[in-house]
Amino acid sequence: MFKILRDLLRYNIEFTIGFILTLAIFLFALAHFWAPMPDTAIYLLPPDMPPSAEYWFGTTSRGQDVLWQMSSAIWNTMLFGLTVTVLSRLLAVAVGMISGYLGGKWDEFLMTINDTMIALPNIPILLLVYFVMRDQMSWPILALTAALLGWNYDARLIRSVTLSLRNREFTRHAVFAGMSVPQILVRQHLPYVMPVIFFTAMNNLIWAIGLEVTLSVLGFSDINRPTIGGMIYWANQHQAIIAGIWWWIAFPIIAVVLLFLGLFLLAISVNEYIDPRSRLSRMGA
Amino acid sequence: MLAAVENKPVSVEAKPVLRVEGLKAYYQMNYFGVRREVRAVDDVSLTINRNEIYGIAGESSSGKSSLIKTIAGAITPPLRVVEGSVKFDFGGKELDVYAQRPAMKAARWKHLSYVMQGSMNVLNPVRKVKHAFRDFAFKHMGLSEGEFRARVESHLQRIGLDPRVLESYPHQLSGGMRQRLTIGLATVCEPEFIIADEPTTALDVLVQQDVLALIKGVQQRMGSSIIFVTHDMTVHAAIADRIGIVYAGRLVEEGSTLDVFQHPQHPYTAHLIASLPRIGDTRKRVALGGKPPNLADPPSGCRFHPRCPLAVDKCKSENPPLLARNSGRVACWRAGEVEAA
Repeated sequence: MFKILRDLLRYNIEFTIGFILTLAIFLFALAHFWAPMPDTAIYLLPPDMPPSAEYWFGTTSRGQDVLWQMSSAIWNTMLFGLTVTVLSRLLAVAVGMISGYLGGKWDEFLMTINDTMIALPNIPILLLVYFVMRDQMSWPILALTAALLGWNYDARLIRSVTLSLRNREFTRHAVFAGMSVPQILVRQHLPYVMPVIFFTAMNNLIWAIGLEVTLSVLGFSDINRPTIGGMIYWANQHQAIIAGIWWWIAFPIIAVVLLFLGLFLLAISVNEYIDPRSRLSRMGA
Repeated sequence: MLAAVENKPVSVEAKPVLRVEGLKAYYQMNYFGVRREVRAVDDVSLTINRNEIYGIAGESSSGKSSLIKTIAGAITPPLRVVEGSVKFDFGGKELDVYAQRPAMKAARWKHLSYVMQGSMNVLNPVRKVKHAFRDFAFKHMGLSEGEFRARVESHLQRIGLDPRVLESYPHQLSGGMRQRLTIGLATVCEPEFIIADEPTTALDVLVQQDVLALIKGVQQRMGSSIIFVTHDMTVHAAIADRIGIVYAGRLVEEGSTLDVFQHPQHPYTAHLIASLPRIGDTRKRVALGGKPPNLADPPSGCRFHPRCPLAVDKCKSENPPLLARNSGRVACWRAGEVEAA
């Protein structure tokens, strides 16, 4: 593992940049555990201070330090995105592979559900869930709802890969040699599907973070829990742009852009390790 | 071209390992109200003895692969067994492929292995070779992790492969090495019966010769039986003990390799043999008119009659049975007259 990491860092410039960016943002987010003040407290500091030696990224109109708010906000946003991604990947892989490999009635049943879900619009459903849940709405429930809405396209993609693998010689041989369906799916097909999962996970993570930002900016989440979208929501509430408090909006946006960039570079280069054939094509073979 | 692979007749004990009786397997389709039935395997009976290599020859779309798939029990709809039975005898225990499915499933790879068509692609391109051995063979051998690894390595060495290939991906190996690996994979459990579908097609003649010698060597060492399919008659000449000629889903002639090559009794076989190039022979080869019949709508009577130079009226109406003649069997109304023609 360590050797792989070392080689990727040495030979792959995309990986190096992505790794440094993501690591820096992760460490920055991790720092909120050592924050000098609780992230939900307001009016602790003088409001509207521009960036200075004392308050590096300035303070908000609500008397919070932008630096520490951002640290918590990125942590919470990343946590939400990763939860959505992991849950929806599990669903997409299970549905896609089962429906592609078993085919027939299973395929029909699962794909009917899948296509129905694709046809449903996401944002109105999330808003409906928010209004129904109201006070019980917490970020894990929101994440679960988003995960249930975010697996359909990728399930179809994974199904198409499995569909082609089903008719390959190695699958027929494995069936003849007596491997069971779960064994074939996990040992023979999953390694093949892995790069697809990685790529869709990337897409999904970005989608989930975007969704969180969208909902929070509109105020449809727990507004007291700092997130990137939540910070922008509060900045809008206090008319930060008109008041000239640019640092309240600019820093969260820069942070989230850097996070996207880092994760994207990581995904495209890690794929090279997972798929031995793309590793080879890079070597010019 | 294959002279280096010596085809010495081995002592074949007359102990049948495989008995196929009256086997009929049809592709049956019923789509949009149209019923179609393709009779790919039509009433085939054959017996294969211990320590014997049986070659199945025939042109493309004659039903060779369907026959071998049906024997292996590796068929999926729309191909179905309509009639007949396939029975293996593994160490005195008789196994009916279609009546005893669970027992048959357990016997696969351990007693019965299969080298499939296009077998160069048997190895999963994204997994190392060692995983293929583990997945296919480990549970059948009942060995510990270390013993299994040692056994696989010594097996690979015996078939001329460096055990280091276990740590590589299939794309890092050459076509010949992959073919060797496939055969290694099929023989690592030392099965009594090996089914091989075109094991040497798509290999150049040098590698082909190599692979044939390998198959023969493995078979002689383990005393197993092999049934293999290829349209390449030179390959049959090189390694088969007996040959069965398939035409349009039927076995039309069967006999020892020498007899079939020297004294073909069926007109189709005679043409097949006569079409082979021989060193020093400059005569022009005569091509047979027509093409293999459509198996969804085969000709009446003997299926070869529209192309047969010897056909008489009886051939058009009555199907000739496969009868013992000389040392082999042949299905032709005019079997005695072929050589004269």
